[in-house]
Amino acid sequence: MSGFLDNMRLALGTFVANPLRSLLTLIGIVIGVATVVSMMALIEGLRLKVNHDLSFLGANTFEVSKWPSGFGRYNWRKYAMRPDLTVEDTEAILERSPSVLRVAAADDEGGQKVSTADAETRPSVFVVGATPTYEETAGITVAQGRFFGEVDEVEGRAVVVLGLDVVDVLFPGQDPLGKEVRIRGRPYRVIGVLQKRGSFLGMVSLDNMALMPLRSFLSVYGMQRSLDISVQATSPELLEKAQAETRTLLRARHKLKPGDADDFDMTTNESMTKSFNQLSQVIAVASFGVCLLSLVVGGIGILNIMLVSVTERTREIGVRKALGARRKRILAQFATEAVVLALVGGAIGVGMGYGLAFLGRWMLGFHTVVPLWAVALSLVMSSGVGLVFGIYPAARAARLDPVEAMRAD
Amino acid sequence: MLISVEDITRTYVVGGETVHALRGVSFTLDKGQWVAIVGQSGSGKSTMMNVLGCLDTPSGGRYMLNGQDVSRMSDDQLAGVRNREIGFIFQTFQLLPRETALANVELPLVYRGLRPKERRERARAALDKVGLTPRIHHRPNELSGGQRQRVAIARALVAEPSLLLADEPTGNLDSATGEEIIRLFEQLHHAGHTIILVTHEPKLAARCPRAIRLSDGRIVDDGRGEAVAFGSRREAVG
Repeated sequence: MSGFLDNMRLALGTFVANPLRSLLTLIGIVIGVATVVSMMALIEGLRLKVNHDLSFLGANTFEVSKWPSGFGRYNWRKYAMRPDLTVEDTEAILERSPSVLRVAAADDEGGQKVSTADAETRPSVFVVGATPTYEETAGITVAQGRFFGEVDEVEGRAVVVLGLDVVDVLFPGQDPLGKEVRIRGRPYRVIGVLQKRGSFLGMVSLDNMALMPLRSFLSVYGMQRSLDISVQATSPELLEKAQAETRTLLRARHKLKPGDADDFDMTTNESMTKSFNQLSQVIAVASFGVCLLSLVVGGIGILNIMLVSVTERTREIGVRKALGARRKRILAQFATEAVVLALVGGAIGVGMGYGLAFLGRWMLGFHTVVPLWAVALSLVMSSGVGLVFGIYPAARAARLDPVEAMRAD
Repeated sequence: MLISVEDITRTYVVGGETVHALRGVSFTLDKGQWVAIVGQSGSGKSTMMNVLGCLDTPSGGRYMLNGQDVSRMSDDQLAGVRNREIGFIFQTFQLLPRETALANVELPLVYRGLRPKERRERARAALDKVGLTPRIHHRPNELSGGQRQRVAIARALVAEPSLLLADEPTGNLDSATGEEIIRLFEQLHHAGHTIILVTHEPKLAARCPRAIRLSDGRIVDDGRGEAVAFGSRREAVG
């Protein structure tokens, strides 16, 4: 035990004696570890954020759409051939599925401009057309004014509910309610303002939006659109039953034969989470690869510096052996030194990873969380690299002949 | 009898040629004796010193040190013997430059596996014995040559070895400082230490009670220091 402590002291002494050289040697390891820690922090943060954001959907809600949701590549042509989901589908689901409490249909168009006589937003506003039930299924809270209702929908009234980002641009310091805005050249009356919602996954602001009745939306953006249908079951226990009813109904409406594949996609909260987790695994594996590569580079750095160190200290090794150090002791001394060196690199990397994660939080706007297992793994891996690449120089030191070694300059 | 050397040979192969550094050396040394090993360069005295110091193993013959046959031991076994039995004092001091005097003196005790507290106490005592107490926290480059050699002597003494082995201990010192170191050796001898001093300086060998002269890998003279150092059988300088 005291031998181990002596070796630790010697190793730290070497580091202190050559701080710049040691730090330069460690760059590879620092980069590798910083990559892993920050990427894991990002992924972990994203995961928590996704779970949180998806919880808006509610445990008893699922979505039906023409396009598959989630992440990853898919065959665009195959899905384009599918029939559009319509207002009639929406109504049918509500009427004929006993386990369904509420159905909302919505569609959206990004990159829109909203203007008043005095001001104009950038062409980045997300315009959503939705049925009044969207307020419940999408978990929307109106901070000021009201959401549109059945009458607005049926009559296709030109009313909008604005997100805070849009309000801030068009009506700074004013009450927007009752005012008129223009979208695609048409006038709309502001009837409500959404509560601040922040951003989804830290990248898309959820407040940069304008909501209007679906009918009004379709009259501007065209009727030939496939709607996204949100279905809310009467209770979380009936979610699967509601899904089954909806599936049967839509298959019948689309005249699918038994054995045909569904020509629509159903997404639950859970399936979103699942596909996100798949994505995050891919990112994790990729960043792990980057990390391994930098660790190998760092390991070669350590190999190099340890060979230099052994050469420089040949005399010291000779003296130690003459005074009674056994081979194993010398081996342990230099292996410890390599491991400590690598661990210092790992620790700096972890620190930088935390720094990057913090920077990411600040830039991306969501909390990044450094998982402790990533820190532990990084430190274990860097000491492993130190050991693997430090063992050869250490073995060389251990084999030195004391007489020869003491004669070295 | 502390040391018994019987017909020791040592050959090296250098570039395909066999060099006979020792051609059959035998002598014995009792506890408490002080002997100088003298000879010109190439006489085999460095090889002798390495063999006696367990830094090298003989090609033939037998070397008994304190009751153990060390001529056939493995590297690690020899390391253990060096640690327990031998205190080295080198011409170039061989102190670790980054360590303080105290840490340097502690070193043999580190490899003996002593606890730090006991190491420190014994190292302080050894440094006190050589009169360096005020300098224990200095590094070698902050010490004079004489002080460095005193640190080295303290390091040789600290583990209480049965043999002190000094290789040209005054070779890198001016004559006044060298004289101080020789006086220190005399004190150590009177205190009962067994000392082997390897040197090429006759004046130094003459101060020892006994001297052995090596030439061409053989003992050519063995007797009172003065007689051997300036004796008639001294070879001409090659």
